[in-house]
Amino acid sequence: MESSKNGRESNEEISEKDENILSFLDSMDTYLTLMDSLSSTLRQGWLELASARHSMGASRINSTLLDLKFHRASTTLQVNEQSAGPDRELPHFTLRKWASSNNPEKNFEEAKFGEDELLKIKSNSLRRRDTSQSSEIQARSPESVGTPVSVDDLAQRERSKSLSMFGTLVSPKLRASQVSFETGTVATLFI
Amino acid sequence: MANRVEIRTTSSALIAMIADEDTITGFLLAGVGNVDLRRKTNYLIVDSKTTVKQIEDAFKEFTTREDVAIVLISQYVANMIRFLVDSYNKPIPAILEIPSKDHPYDPAHDSVLSRVKYLFSTESVASGRR
Repeated sequence: MESSKNGRESNEEISEKDENILSFLDSMDTYLTLMDSLSSTLRQGWLELASARHSMGASRINSTLLDLKFHRASTTLQVNEQSAGPDRELPHFTLRKWASSNNPEKNFEEAKFGEDELLKIKSNSLRRRDTSQSSEIQARSPESVGTPVSVDDLAQRERSKSLSMFGTLVSPKLRASQVSFETGTVATLFI
Repeated sequence: MANRVEIRTTSSALIAMIADEDTITGFLLAGVGNVDLRRKTNYLIVDSKTTVKQIEDAFKEFTTREDVAIVLISQYVANMIRFLVDSYNKPIPAILEIPSKDHPYDPAHDSVLSRVKYLFSTESVASGRR
Protein backbone atom coordinates (compact mmCIF):
# COMPACT_ATOMS: atom_id res chain seq x y z
CA MET A 1 0.00 0.00 0.00
CA GLU A 2 2.76 2.35 1.07
CA SER A 3 4.89 1.49 -1.96
CA SER A 4 1.99 2.01 -4.43
CA LYS A 5 1.25 5.41 -2.83
CA ASN A 6 4.94 6.36 -3.16
CA GLY A 7 4.90 5.06 -6.75
CA ARG A 8 1.89 7.26 -7.60
CA GLU A 9 3.54 10.31 -6.04
CA SER A 10 6.77 9.77 -7.95
CA ASN A 11 4.76 9.36 -11.21
CA GLU A 12 3.09 12.69 -10.47
CA GLU A 13 6.46 14.30 -9.79
CA ILE A 14 7.87 12.90 -13.03
CA SER A 15 4.91 14.13 -15.09
CA GLU A 16 5.21 17.59 -13.44
CA LYS A 17 8.93 17.66 -14.30
CA ASP A 18 8.14 16.57 -17.86
CA GLU A 19 5.59 19.35 -18.11
CA ASN A 20 8.16 21.90 -16.89
CA ILE A 21 10.74 20.66 -19.38
CA LEU A 22 8.23 20.82 -22.24
CA SER A 23 7.23 24.34 -21.22
CA PHE A 24 10.89 25.33 -21.09
CA LEU A 25 11.56 23.87 -24.56
CA ASP A 26 8.50 25.71 -25.88
CA SER A 27 9.96 28.94 -24.50
CA MET A 28 13.29 28.25 -26.21
CA ASP A 29 11.50 27.60 -29.50
CA THR A 30 9.64 30.89 -29.13
CA TYR A 31 12.92 32.66 -28.35
CA LEU A 32 14.55 31.32 -31.53
CA THR A 33 11.49 32.20 -33.63
CA LEU A 34 11.47 35.76 -32.27
CA MET A 35 15.23 36.13 -32.81
CA ASP A 36 14.75 35.04 -36.41
CA SER A 37 11.94 37.56 -36.80
CA LEU A 38 14.11 40.30 -35.28
CA SER A 39 16.99 39.42 -37.62
CA SER A 40 14.81 39.71 -40.71
CA THR A 41 13.24 42.99 -39.50
CA LEU A 42 16.66 44.51 -38.82
CA ARG A 43 17.97 43.25 -42.18
CA GLN A 44 15.13 45.03 -43.90
CA GLY A 45 15.88 48.18 -41.90
CA TRP A 46 19.59 48.09 -42.85
CA LEU A 47 18.72 47.59 -46.50
CA GLU A 48 16.34 50.54 -46.47
CA LEU A 49 18.90 52.67 -44.65
CA ALA A 50 21.52 51.76 -47.26
CA SER A 51 19.04 52.67 -50.05
CA ALA A 52 18.34 55.99 -48.36
CA ARG A 53 22.08 56.64 -48.03
CA HIS A 54 22.50 55.83 -51.72
CA SER A 55 19.77 58.25 -52.79
CA MET A 56 20.48 61.06 -50.31
CA GLY A 57 24.26 60.75 -50.19
CA ALA A 58 26.56 59.35 -47.51
CA SER A 59 27.25 62.81 -46.06
CA ARG A 60 23.55 63.25 -45.28
CA ILE A 61 23.14 60.01 -43.32
CA ASN A 62 25.96 59.35 -40.88
CA SER A 63 26.69 59.42 -37.20
CA THR A 64 28.12 62.96 -37.21
CA LEU A 65 24.61 64.30 -37.76
CA LEU A 66 23.17 62.63 -34.66
CA ASP A 67 21.57 65.10 -32.30
CA LEU A 68 23.82 65.64 -29.28
CA LYS A 69 21.72 68.43 -27.80
CA PHE A 70 19.68 67.65 -24.73
CA HIS A 71 16.58 65.67 -25.68
CA ARG A 72 14.55 62.93 -24.07
CA ALA A 73 13.84 59.61 -25.73
CA SER A 74 10.42 59.50 -27.42
CA THR A 75 10.24 55.73 -27.04
CA THR A 76 10.64 54.53 -23.46
CA LEU A 77 9.72 51.59 -21.27
CA GLN A 78 7.58 51.26 -18.21
CA VAL A 79 8.92 48.59 -15.85
CA ASN A 80 6.68 46.94 -13.26
CA GLU A 81 6.86 43.83 -11.14
CA GLN A 82 4.76 40.84 -12.09
CA SER A 83 4.24 37.99 -9.69
CA ALA A 84 5.31 34.60 -11.09
CA GLY A 85 4.88 32.52 -7.96
CA PRO A 86 5.05 32.77 -4.18
CA ASP A 87 8.72 33.80 -4.03
CA ARG A 88 9.33 34.91 -7.59
CA GLU A 89 8.78 38.15 -9.40
CA LEU A 90 9.49 38.96 -13.00
CA PRO A 91 9.97 42.37 -14.58
CA HIS A 92 7.09 43.44 -16.78
CA PHE A 93 7.87 45.85 -19.64
CA THR A 94 5.44 48.13 -21.41
CA LEU A 95 6.67 49.98 -24.48
CA ARG A 96 5.66 53.62 -24.86
CA LYS A 97 6.21 54.81 -28.41
CA TRP A 98 6.47 58.41 -29.53
CA ALA A 99 5.77 60.16 -26.25
CA SER A 100 5.82 63.92 -26.60
CA SER A 101 9.24 65.23 -25.61
CA ASN A 102 7.49 68.26 -24.08
CA ASN A 103 5.24 66.19 -21.89
CA PRO A 104 6.56 62.63 -21.72
CA GLU A 105 4.03 61.39 -19.17
CA LYS A 106 1.05 62.12 -21.42
CA ASN A 107 0.15 61.67 -25.05
CA PHE A 108 2.14 58.59 -25.80
CA GLU A 109 1.11 55.79 -28.05
CA GLU A 110 1.34 52.41 -26.47
CA ALA A 111 1.97 49.81 -29.11
CA LYS A 112 -1.36 48.35 -30.16
CA PHE A 113 -2.43 44.92 -31.33
CA GLY A 114 -3.85 44.48 -34.76
CA GLU A 115 -1.64 45.26 -37.74
CA ASP A 116 1.60 44.32 -36.02
CA GLU A 117 3.08 41.42 -38.01
CA LEU A 118 5.21 40.34 -35.13
CA LEU A 119 2.14 39.69 -33.00
CA LYS A 120 0.69 37.58 -35.82
CA ILE A 121 3.87 35.53 -35.86
CA LYS A 122 3.62 35.21 -32.10
CA SER A 123 0.02 33.99 -32.16
CA ASN A 124 0.80 31.43 -34.86
CA SER A 125 3.96 29.98 -33.46
CA LEU A 126 3.52 30.09 -29.70
CA ARG A 127 2.77 26.68 -28.17
CA ARG A 128 3.55 27.65 -24.61
CA ARG A 129 1.82 25.76 -21.81
CA ASP A 130 2.84 28.31 -19.22
CA THR A 131 0.89 31.45 -20.06
CA SER A 132 2.79 33.81 -17.76
CA GLN A 133 4.82 36.38 -19.66
CA SER A 134 7.45 38.69 -18.38
CA SER A 135 6.96 41.30 -21.07
CA GLU A 136 4.05 42.35 -23.21
CA ILE A 137 2.72 45.23 -25.20
CA GLN A 138 -0.53 46.44 -23.73
CA ALA A 139 -3.49 47.27 -25.90
CA ARG A 140 -5.08 50.54 -24.98
CA SER A 141 -8.50 51.72 -26.06
CA PRO A 142 -8.53 55.03 -27.94
CA GLU A 143 -10.85 56.64 -25.39
CA SER A 144 -8.29 56.38 -22.62
CA VAL A 145 -5.66 58.37 -24.50
CA GLY A 146 -7.93 60.96 -26.09
CA THR A 147 -9.06 60.83 -29.68
CA PRO A 148 -7.18 58.41 -31.98
CA VAL A 149 -6.48 61.26 -34.38
CA SER A 150 -4.57 63.35 -31.81
CA VAL A 151 -2.41 60.40 -30.73
CA ASP A 152 -1.56 59.58 -34.35
CA ASP A 153 -0.78 63.23 -35.06
CA LEU A 154 1.54 63.37 -32.09
CA ALA A 155 3.25 60.16 -33.13
CA GLN A 156 3.72 61.54 -36.65
CA ARG A 157 5.15 64.74 -35.22
CA GLU A 158 7.66 62.83 -33.11
CA ARG A 159 8.56 60.64 -36.08
CA SER A 160 9.22 63.74 -38.18
CA LYS A 161 11.35 65.15 -35.38
CA SER A 162 13.51 62.01 -35.43
CA LEU A 163 13.85 62.24 -39.21
CA SER A 164 14.67 65.94 -39.10
CA MET A 165 18.24 65.30 -37.89
CA PHE A 166 18.91 64.17 -41.48
CA GLY A 167 17.30 67.20 -43.09
CA THR A 168 13.85 68.47 -43.99
CA LEU A 169 13.42 66.48 -47.18
CA VAL A 170 14.25 62.84 -46.67
CA SER A 171 14.02 59.81 -48.88
CA PRO A 172 10.94 57.56 -48.50
CA LYS A 173 13.44 54.75 -47.92
CA LEU A 174 14.57 56.50 -44.74
CA ARG A 175 10.96 56.66 -43.54
CA ALA A 176 10.57 52.96 -44.37
CA SER A 177 13.76 52.23 -42.43
CA GLN A 178 12.31 54.12 -39.47
CA VAL A 179 9.21 51.90 -39.54
CA SER A 180 11.37 48.77 -39.74
CA PHE A 181 13.41 49.78 -36.73
CA GLU A 182 10.23 50.67 -34.84
CA THR A 183 9.03 47.11 -35.49
CA GLY A 184 12.45 45.87 -34.38
CA THR A 185 12.08 47.76 -31.10
CA VAL A 186 8.74 46.04 -30.50
CA ALA A 187 10.36 42.69 -31.36
CA THR A 188 13.09 43.17 -28.76
CA LEU A 189 10.42 43.61 -26.13
CA PHE A 190 8.80 40.29 -27.03
CA ILE A 191 12.14 38.55 -26.80
CA MET B 1 12.64 34.93 0.17
CA ALA B 2 16.29 35.34 1.14
CA ASN B 3 17.43 35.23 -2.51
CA ARG B 4 14.59 37.38 -3.86
CA VAL B 5 15.89 40.00 -6.28
CA GLU B 6 14.47 43.49 -6.01
CA ILE B 7 12.99 44.75 -9.30
CA ARG B 8 12.93 48.52 -9.54
CA THR B 9 9.79 49.92 -11.07
CA THR B 10 10.06 52.96 -13.29
CA SER B 11 7.70 54.75 -15.64
CA SER B 12 10.10 56.01 -18.31
CA ALA B 13 13.13 53.78 -18.58
CA LEU B 14 15.48 53.86 -21.52
CA ILE B 15 16.78 51.31 -24.00
CA ALA B 16 20.57 51.54 -24.14
CA MET B 17 22.52 50.34 -27.19
CA ILE B 18 26.05 49.23 -27.94
CA ALA B 19 26.20 48.50 -31.66
CA ASP B 20 27.49 49.58 -35.07
CA GLU B 21 26.63 52.90 -36.68
CA ASP B 22 23.75 51.69 -38.87
CA THR B 23 22.02 49.82 -36.05
CA ILE B 24 22.31 52.82 -33.72
CA THR B 25 21.09 55.18 -36.46
CA GLY B 26 18.09 52.97 -37.10
CA PHE B 27 17.09 52.72 -33.47
CA LEU B 28 17.57 56.47 -33.03
CA LEU B 29 15.13 56.97 -35.91
CA ALA B 30 12.71 54.84 -33.88
CA GLY B 31 12.94 57.41 -31.09
CA VAL B 32 15.09 55.47 -28.64
CA GLY B 33 17.93 58.01 -28.37
CA ASN B 34 18.31 60.08 -25.22
CA VAL B 35 20.82 62.82 -24.39
CA ASP B 36 20.84 64.22 -20.88
CA LEU B 37 21.89 67.66 -19.68
CA ARG B 38 25.47 66.46 -19.26
CA ARG B 39 25.45 65.32 -22.90
CA LYS B 40 25.57 61.68 -21.87
CA THR B 41 23.90 59.42 -24.37
CA ASN B 42 22.23 56.05 -23.97
CA TYR B 43 24.21 54.55 -26.84
CA LEU B 44 27.75 53.76 -27.93
CA ILE B 45 28.65 53.50 -31.60
CA VAL B 46 31.25 50.77 -32.09
CA ASP B 47 33.58 51.13 -35.06
CA SER B 48 37.11 50.10 -35.96
CA LYS B 49 38.58 52.74 -33.63
CA THR B 50 36.55 51.74 -30.56
CA THR B 51 38.66 49.96 -27.96
CA VAL B 52 37.58 46.99 -25.85
CA LYS B 53 38.04 49.16 -22.74
CA GLN B 54 35.53 51.70 -24.09
CA ILE B 55 33.02 48.92 -24.76
CA GLU B 56 33.55 47.48 -21.27
CA ASP B 57 33.13 50.89 -19.67
CA ALA B 58 29.94 51.56 -21.65
CA PHE B 59 28.54 48.13 -20.69
CA LYS B 60 29.30 48.69 -17.03
CA GLU B 61 27.81 52.18 -17.15
CA PHE B 62 24.57 51.11 -18.86
CA THR B 63 24.07 48.12 -16.58
CA THR B 64 24.44 50.26 -13.47
CA ARG B 65 22.30 53.21 -14.60
CA GLU B 66 18.94 53.32 -12.84
CA ASP B 67 17.11 54.76 -15.85
CA VAL B 68 18.06 51.93 -18.25
CA ALA B 69 15.75 48.90 -18.54
CA ILE B 70 17.13 47.06 -21.58
CA VAL B 71 20.63 47.01 -23.06
CA LEU B 72 20.82 46.00 -26.72
CA ILE B 73 24.29 44.85 -27.71
CA SER B 74 25.42 43.50 -31.07
CA GLN B 75 26.48 39.90 -30.77
CA TYR B 76 29.92 40.50 -32.28
CA VAL B 77 30.48 43.33 -29.75
CA ALA B 78 29.29 41.07 -26.92
CA ASN B 79 31.86 38.50 -28.06
CA MET B 80 34.60 41.10 -27.38
CA ILE B 81 33.48 41.38 -23.76
CA ARG B 82 32.05 37.85 -23.44
CA PHE B 83 33.29 37.31 -19.89
CA LEU B 84 31.59 40.49 -18.71
CA VAL B 85 28.30 39.70 -20.50
CA ASP B 86 28.16 36.08 -19.30
CA SER B 87 28.89 37.03 -15.71
CA TYR B 88 26.05 39.56 -15.67
CA ASN B 89 23.00 38.08 -13.93
CA LYS B 90 20.63 40.88 -12.88
CA PRO B 91 17.05 40.98 -14.24
CA ILE B 92 17.15 44.76 -14.85
CA PRO B 93 18.52 46.05 -17.06
CA ALA B 94 17.90 43.04 -19.31
CA ILE B 95 20.64 42.29 -21.83
CA LEU B 96 19.71 41.29 -25.36
CA GLU B 97 22.25 40.31 -27.98
CA ILE B 98 21.14 41.35 -31.44
CA PRO B 99 22.61 40.62 -34.87
CA SER B 100 24.52 43.26 -36.75
CA LYS B 101 24.69 44.13 -40.43
CA ASP B 102 28.06 42.48 -41.02
CA HIS B 103 27.72 39.67 -38.46
CA PRO B 104 24.49 37.66 -38.67
CA TYR B 105 23.02 36.06 -35.58
CA ASP B 106 24.99 33.00 -34.46
CA PRO B 107 23.10 30.73 -32.00
CA ALA B 108 26.41 29.12 -30.97
CA HIS B 109 27.52 32.38 -29.35
CA ASP B 110 24.19 33.43 -27.84
CA SER B 111 24.57 33.68 -24.05
CA VAL B 112 20.99 32.51 -23.38
CA LEU B 113 21.42 29.38 -25.49
CA SER B 114 24.85 28.73 -24.00
CA ARG B 115 23.29 28.64 -20.55
CA VAL B 116 20.56 26.29 -21.80
CA LYS B 117 23.18 24.01 -23.35
CA TYR B 118 25.15 24.01 -20.13
CA LEU B 119 22.00 23.26 -18.13
CA PHE B 120 21.07 20.32 -20.31
CA SER B 121 24.59 18.94 -20.36
CA THR B 122 24.69 19.15 -16.55
CA GLU B 123 21.30 17.44 -16.35
CA SER B 124 22.35 14.63 -18.68
CA VAL B 125 25.58 14.09 -16.67
CA ALA B 126 23.59 14.04 -13.42
CA SER B 127 21.01 11.59 -14.78
CA GLY B 128 23.80 9.40 -16.22
CA ARG B 129 25.38 9.15 -12.79
CA ARG B 130 22.05 8.04 -11.32
